[in-house]
Amino acid sequence: MNSYPYKYQGDPLIRLQKTTGKIAISIPLIIITLIVLIPFVWMIIMSFRTTAEILNDPFGLPKTLELENYAKLLFDPEIGFGRYFVNSAIVSAGALSVTLILSTMGGYGFGRSRHKFKFRGPVFNLLLFALMLPPQIFYIPQFTMMSKLGLLNTYWSLILTYAATALPISTYLMSTYFSQLPSELEDASQIDGCTHFQTFWHIMLPLARSAILTVTLLNFMHFWNELLLAITMVTDPRMRTIQAAMMMFVGEHGSNYAIAAASLVLSMLPTLLLYLVMSDKFIEGLTAGAVKG
Amino acid sequence: MINKIARTRWAKRWLPIVLFIGPVMLYYLGFMVYPFLATFYYSFNTIAPVKGVMVTTFVGFQNYIDLFSDPIFIQSVKNTIIWSVAGPVIEMLTALTLAFLIYFRVPLYRFYRTAWFTPLLVSGVIVGLVFRWFFNNEWGLLNASLRAVGLGDWALNWLGRRDTPLMAVIFVHYWATFGYSMVLLLAGLSAVPEELLDAAKVDGANIFQTITKIMIPILWPTFITVLILSFIGKMRAFHVVWALTGGGPMHFTETVATYVQKRAFGWSTLDLGYPSAMAVLWFGVVIVGVSLLNRWLKRQAQV
Repeated sequence: MNSYPYKYQGDPLIRLQKTTGKIAISIPLIIITLIVLIPFVWMIIMSFRTTAEILNDPFGLPKTLELENYAKLLFDPEIGFGRYFVNSAIVSAGALSVTLILSTMGGYGFGRSRHKFKFRGPVFNLLLFALMLPPQIFYIPQFTMMSKLGLLNTYWSLILTYAATALPISTYLMSTYFSQLPSELEDASQIDGCTHFQTFWHIMLPLARSAILTVTLLNFMHFWNELLLAITMVTDPRMRTIQAAMMMFVGEHGSNYAIAAASLVLSMLPTLLLYLVMSDKFIEGLTAGAVKG
Repeated sequence: MINKIARTRWAKRWLPIVLFIGPVMLYYLGFMVYPFLATFYYSFNTIAPVKGVMVTTFVGFQNYIDLFSDPIFIQSVKNTIIWSVAGPVIEMLTALTLAFLIYFRVPLYRFYRTAWFTPLLVSGVIVGLVFRWFFNNEWGLLNASLRAVGLGDWALNWLGRRDTPLMAVIFVHYWATFGYSMVLLLAGLSAVPEELLDAAKVDGANIFQTITKIMIPILWPTFITVLILSFIGKMRAFHVVWALTGGGPMHFTETVATYVQKRAFGWSTLDLGYPSAMAVLWFGVVIVGVSLLNRWLKRQAQV
């Protein structure tokens, strides 16, 4: 045991004992970290250079901090990147609203009715069944539905389908949260004469703020980054979401890698900023569904 | 009259349930369950526009029969299965090792955890496009680096050959998701009760015995979940492949997800029935795969 570079301490933490051991273990870990981070760094550097520079010298740092790529993206009406940004924001916000309304109510219903109703198990399982299915099993008829409703190429086609795919996990997370709240709260408010909806709205929902934030972050990231439905439901270039627009960029402005790189950087800013502000909440949201399931 | 109904016992019991669960279940039935069932129905039909109107013609099992003689479909199944077997194995082995290292607090462990998690935040499109450039034959970072250190012979057209593109897809998706598996396993590890580890130490167990005899068995349910999630993730992966290679060159990286998309909406084949049959078949494969994995891994736990 002593020949091993770890020392067992009283707590479950095992610390590296010798400096040589520390260095030996750090080398592969730092290499892994570099492999993870270098593509990001490279992308950001690319976005400040010109395409000619990129093609001639892949390594070079930007000679002058070239902000032209970003300026073009934001202000050149022919590229119109702002429009795609707004499209994505509208679709994400709309889908989030639908998801939050339905999943908090549904989560409350499932979470507080553990023993109270007979078909709870099967109904809940029906909802959770979709969690493990590939989206391919839903999206072709979803497309025909939207076509029949005349909603193709509108924000609604994406809002409605995004919310649908987000409901199982969101309702599940909300229901887990609500089921942990003490039932005395409910009893007290019922005695005070609240209706079920008042109890839900005034007592339970404010208590669930933290769970609502988790569900919001998780779904926002999913909606913002979605591509499959985005290219299926929307083919009108003006209505594209940011992800679909970037795919189009590479086709159309294929030779202008600098602008394309700048568009990637801009498109990941919202999620990245949210992550910087609340990274713990983010990690919690992304792991919550998985570990419990 | 309405008041009278509302006051019955039945109503008191069921009304709130219907009120809260009703909306979400109706929405779910409409936008998920109906499309799910409709995909099965579609798969037995040819659904194609005739003079601008979608016409549905019943063809029985013809779509399924055609699938087995479609070389592109067979290629895409082969690719997806290679990926879904190789991907999770590599991912679980490395993620587990790294999760243990972070759990044991190697120097800089907080930094590693945050850094490895970042690829998960960016979209599949970004990941795919950045690596499309990274692997570029002429000016991509990989080949440029190889040439710079005198390994110019190793600089291949990574995304343009027969053998390397699928490996590139597997690598890129792994790059993007291993941090997620690692964080999930880490969460499972922190659930191991400290008393058990203390007890093991008192009994004189060394670090390897503690890991294999105590920590892994407790971690096992989480391990199964993460492995199955990883497997499902590969079986349905679309974004990264679409942005990295688009299924090319020559369908060498075609997956079932990208091929369904091409046949349904990309190519001018104009038939929604055939891709639906693919989707149904693939749904079956995923369900069977998941339940076999689940059963096999649970049995491992009992031994």
